[in-house]
Amino acid sequence: MNEKTSTTTWQRFTALLKKVGFTPLGFFLLILLIVLPYIPPFDQEHILRWMIMGAFLAAQSVAFDFTAGYINVVNFGFAALLGLGAYTSGMLANTRPSLILHLGVSPWIGIWVGAIVAGLVGLLLGMLTLRLRGIYAAVMAWFVGIALLGIVNNMTDWTRGALGMAPPSLLARGVGNRPYFYIILGMMLVVYIVLKLITNSNYGLAFRAIGQNIDAARASGINPTKYRVFNFTVSAFFAGWLGGFYAHYFGSLTPATLMHTSKTVEVLAIAYIGGRGSLWGGIAVAFPFVFFIEYIRSNLTDLPGLHLVIYGILMILIMIYYPSGFSGFFDWAKGKILGLFSKAKTQRHETDLRTDQG
Amino acid sequence: MSNITSVRPATLTSLLTRIKDNRPVFIVSVFSLILLIVIGIKGGPPQILNTFVSGGMWALMAVGLALVFGVMNIPHFAHGESFMVGTYVAYYVYTPLLAALGSNPNPVFKALSPFAGIIAAGLVGAILGIIVERLIFAPLRHRTRSGWVMNAFLLTVGISFVMTNGATLTVGPNFRGIPTYWDVDPIEILGARLAVDRLVAFFISGVTIALVWFFLHRTRTGRAIRAVAQDETGAQMVGIDLDFIHTLTFSLSTATAAIAGAALLFMFQAYPTVGLKPLYFAWYVVMLVGLGNIAGAIVGGFIVALLQTATQLLFTITWETVIPTIVMILVLLLAPSGLFGSEVKGIQEQ
Repeated sequence: MNEKTSTTTWQRFTALLKKVGFTPLGFFLLILLIVLPYIPPFDQEHILRWMIMGAFLAAQSVAFDFTAGYINVVNFGFAALLGLGAYTSGMLANTRPSLILHLGVSPWIGIWVGAIVAGLVGLLLGMLTLRLRGIYAAVMAWFVGIALLGIVNNMTDWTRGALGMAPPSLLARGVGNRPYFYIILGMMLVVYIVLKLITNSNYGLAFRAIGQNIDAARASGINPTKYRVFNFTVSAFFAGWLGGFYAHYFGSLTPATLMHTSKTVEVLAIAYIGGRGSLWGGIAVAFPFVFFIEYIRSNLTDLPGLHLVIYGILMILIMIYYPSGFSGFFDWAKGKILGLFSKAKTQRHETDLRTDQG
Repeated sequence: MSNITSVRPATLTSLLTRIKDNRPVFIVSVFSLILLIVIGIKGGPPQILNTFVSGGMWALMAVGLALVFGVMNIPHFAHGESFMVGTYVAYYVYTPLLAALGSNPNPVFKALSPFAGIIAAGLVGAILGIIVERLIFAPLRHRTRSGWVMNAFLLTVGISFVMTNGATLTVGPNFRGIPTYWDVDPIEILGARLAVDRLVAFFISGVTIALVWFFLHRTRTGRAIRAVAQDETGAQMVGIDLDFIHTLTFSLSTATAAIAGAALLFMFQAYPTVGLKPLYFAWYVVMLVGLGNIAGAIVGGFIVALLQTATQLLFTITWETVIPTIVMILVLLLAPSGLFGSEVKGIQEQ
């Protein structure tokens, strides 16, 4: 009796987890991430910084995958949208009188304004790419990204252009990296859970239908306009939101290091290595990746760019030989392992079916 | 030859009717004329000449891009990296060669040594194209053709990423350039002085485009390439080796971009991300005229160069990529498949 209730509680618990997009294993790893900053050697400042970068990249890849993996439009202006959010927040928070805007708005408000501005541009971008398919939509987003980068570069009275601006930090000086880690981890969770809830709803079905065959989706009564614009807006909103964190954590904004196409490519690589259309794949891959890459970068300083070459080669290999990425591999492995346990059961089940048919 | 004379009037009339019937083409023609007049007034003949020189180069870049898309359906994002390789090869062949000639070089050898660099760049580009195609696109093509356009695009993005960072890794992030190829007085044309380097660059682009055109239209292999561009299954049925054609096309495209890079070494110093601007402009051209349209790419190169020069004159050089990008966004909105339209297979694939 007692055992039975405990199983139902467990089932209720896993059902709840599943609703917000977690498996028990995923939840366990999340708990691990939460306690990790207190366990040596992860409590060192530079390793915490790596973890922040990992969470930042993971959150970006989730927002990117929401567009690329579901409606099958690769948003090549993703980094530019992120930069737009960062710059909006940075400009609002600026206190230096040398720039036109020096309102000194609190970063906590600025981040949301940045997100809304990026979301609005995402709405526009969604509308611009509406008539376009596949490669044309990607190129359009790319062009919009180049234009945004160029505009930020040229608005020197507002942004100091290529010289870069230094927005104030989010928290007081000297608090270390740990509070920032919890902020970005929280942001990552919000991005993931919100997007997972959306994709688990009817919207997710509609996205997949549009992504697979837009004409068939239209024929079955899905309005592609509505869903594509919605998707772009949400993805851009989160990109801008994360950009705000970047601005007030790293404290230095230059168009080239933030909005460049190569930054989109980094996110794209993580999202694709993680597995298209899975959302969680990017998160699973981002943390080990950042550690691996930062390790190479700090230990092989005489080989600049090696980590990015490895990035690129891995992405190419995944795309050619294993397009489902890490999440696909995980599902396959999980299927194998579970199959070993329940082999006898399924076999019996199959024979039952066969006898039924016979 | 009689064949050519009988064909030409027909194409000309068809071109004129096409311009008359096609509103975007008409708008762009008028717009280009206005830009030309603006450049003429603001910058005078020197700027018009410059426009033609850069137009020739963007056309050369865009032809390679159009070829690869037309035949293989690859939207080539790493085309700028082929340009980058060209600049590096030219630098590493030309500078030692010049040093080897000594302090008092034979004038003939000195005048010819840049061509050694440019030809070497073309050869290295061709070999690089073969390697990349065999190593990356052939395996994907053999595995699956579903979602090919998008997958190929993302692969080229990866290639671009690897090549730029690979260049940083192997030769370092430093700028390597030369002040000039031919250290002689500028030539006067229409009262404007034009550096010999630019003039030669223009001729190189013209000759390369003409050679590619001749190859595609007057040789058996070239016809096979065009056949594959039109209908792959049909081409395969008549016994064309698809693998060979694809490798050849990609190699040809990479070689043309490398030649462009080598010929422009005096303008673009060799460094890992030098290919970005040529890539942008080549993409503007192909988006303007329609992906995969080779003849259109030649015309488009000059239109984009007009736009570029006009932007430089009316605004500053920092707006050089912004204004053309915004114009291209409008073009994409109004005429998504380009001015001359592209009837390339697989283009509507999701």
